[in-house]
Amino acid sequence: MNTFEALLLALLVLMVAVGGKQGFSNFLAVMINFLLMMLAVILMAGGFNAIGVAAVLGLVVLATTIFLSTRDGDVAQTAFVASLLVMLGMLLVIGIGVRYAHVAGFGTEDSEALEGYNLLIGVSFPHILIATALFSTLGAIAEAAVAVAAGMKTLGAAASEAGLTQMAAEIIGTALNTLFFGFFRGFAGLFLWFTQLRYPFWQVLNNQIFARELIEVLFSMIAVTLTVPFTMWIVQRRQGGRS
Amino acid sequence: MMKSYAKTILAKPWRWLLPVLSFFVVLGLTRLDAPLYHQPIVQVTAVHTGKAQKQVDNFDNHDVTHRQQVQAKFLNTARRGQVITLSNMYSGSGALDTPLRRGDQVFVERQAGRYQLKDEKRDGAVLGLLAATICLMALVMKKRVWLTFGSILANVVLLLVTLHVETTSNQKLAYVLFSLMAVLFTVVTTVFIAGIKRQAAVIAVATLGATALALALGYGLFAATGYRDLHIEAVAYVTQVPQLLFFVQIMIGSLGAVLDESNDIAVAVMQLPAGFKQRFQAGMAIGRNVMGPLIAVLFMIFMADTFTESILWLRNDNAISQTFIWVMGLGFAQALISAFGIVLAVPLTSLLAAWPKKVQA
Repeated sequence: MNTFEALLLALLVLMVAVGGKQGFSNFLAVMINFLLMMLAVILMAGGFNAIGVAAVLGLVVLATTIFLSTRDGDVAQTAFVASLLVMLGMLLVIGIGVRYAHVAGFGTEDSEALEGYNLLIGVSFPHILIATALFSTLGAIAEAAVAVAAGMKTLGAAASEAGLTQMAAEIIGTALNTLFFGFFRGFAGLFLWFTQLRYPFWQVLNNQIFARELIEVLFSMIAVTLTVPFTMWIVQRRQGGRS
Repeated sequence: MMKSYAKTILAKPWRWLLPVLSFFVVLGLTRLDAPLYHQPIVQVTAVHTGKAQKQVDNFDNHDVTHRQQVQAKFLNTARRGQVITLSNMYSGSGALDTPLRRGDQVFVERQAGRYQLKDEKRDGAVLGLLAATICLMALVMKKRVWLTFGSILANVVLLLVTLHVETTSNQKLAYVLFSLMAVLFTVVTTVFIAGIKRQAAVIAVATLGATALALALGYGLFAATGYRDLHIEAVAYVTQVPQLLFFVQIMIGSLGAVLDESNDIAVAVMQLPAGFKQRFQAGMAIGRNVMGPLIAVLFMIFMADTFTESILWLRNDNAISQTFIWVMGLGFAQALISAFGIVLAVPLTSLLAAWPKKVQA
């Protein structure tokens, strides 16, 4: 057994022990998402348009994450519709951001890792970056959409404007530490590098890798923040349509 | 009721344009900040792009390269206003290069008596997106946004101080130092979220406990399987020991998710008046609902992070299994150990939060 298999097995045992049946379906979601990510890499490397691959497989990732982690069908449906629309909106935001930022591909700090590789591979690195950024936001979009849809259902008719604003702030607050520290992990090595080589502030700010990582965090924060009011709006539309 | 939702979101629809506006305002302002830099910056005034040259490598990858003749004007230094000619080469895929367009601002560098393109100026996009994000969050979260950014800022300062201490001190203590940093991260963030209350203590203890348990379990499994196929030496941007960096990455990466989850559980459970058993079960139920999506958040971030390099590997004729082991494997292992923490935090937080309050003296 290699290390990855051992880790997966341990996760399965833990999730079933803590979550029972639901834990098992959560584990299933992790495995399906893993296969989808592998498929995405293979398709993009195989010459398919990276943005198209991200949009199509992103839809499946959202469906997997939402429907396998929520038992309430109503909540799941609302969350799925909302997150799909937010994903499309994010595609636009990410497209604009990537165009202005010039952060696709590799930076000078990557040169050691690139030694011996041919870089003229005929696949658009800006497109890969858009796909990467989109995939990194999906988990956060799904999480926030489910939380809002479930929260609105609990609050029901009792929801006041102040109550909704408080719920919005709490859900965004919850997602932010996850996102922030999740990306901070990537910064750890980079910051050690910058500190050790004494990069001045202006150089860090304009550094290709730093700018890319920071922009990806900001995309995710924007995605979560958009998901919350948007899901509220969808809930309201669905309720309006039924009564 | 329907109206009240609508009111929250649709009142003054023009305000949703504020984030977009702030992006472009900040982007515009940074186009004027060249005098603040000591490094020479030029703005592209005219571009002549040559014909595409076809490139084929020994793996049969087809690409094109273009050569650009670029006229550019200095925006700062003593040469401000002077016009120079630069040449720029870019490829269809753009791994290390980018086409220049009129209006682009770039850093240049003097080499052998001639100015050459050094790097893009990126502060506009970075600061513009930052402004847009803060603006959007302020619209949705109202006053709470300051608390959130305060906590993030405090953590950034903490990280910078730790890095400074680490690079100037004895590196044998690095593991202790970074663990201490994790403890401080947790304490600072929970105090920002919950204030100085018993609730904050519950969240902090549960977060640190779950993260420590997850790390112990992860490293136990590494040892038990003899690190088979796990190549810690492949960690990117290593200036010191890769093992240390890998450890720090797992710790930081999982901390936020575990903290958010413990917070969700503790807040809900500690409001309940019921007895220990009901409180514990309520906590477990909330935890089961949030753990799946939270694991997905980290999993997607950690895996997507490896896309660019994975695709480069695959196009350079490496097998899928090799690419997975060397490029994606580390992120995958880190995502799974973070997932351990997220799962373990559910019973741990429920237990601590449900524990009957001692009578205060």
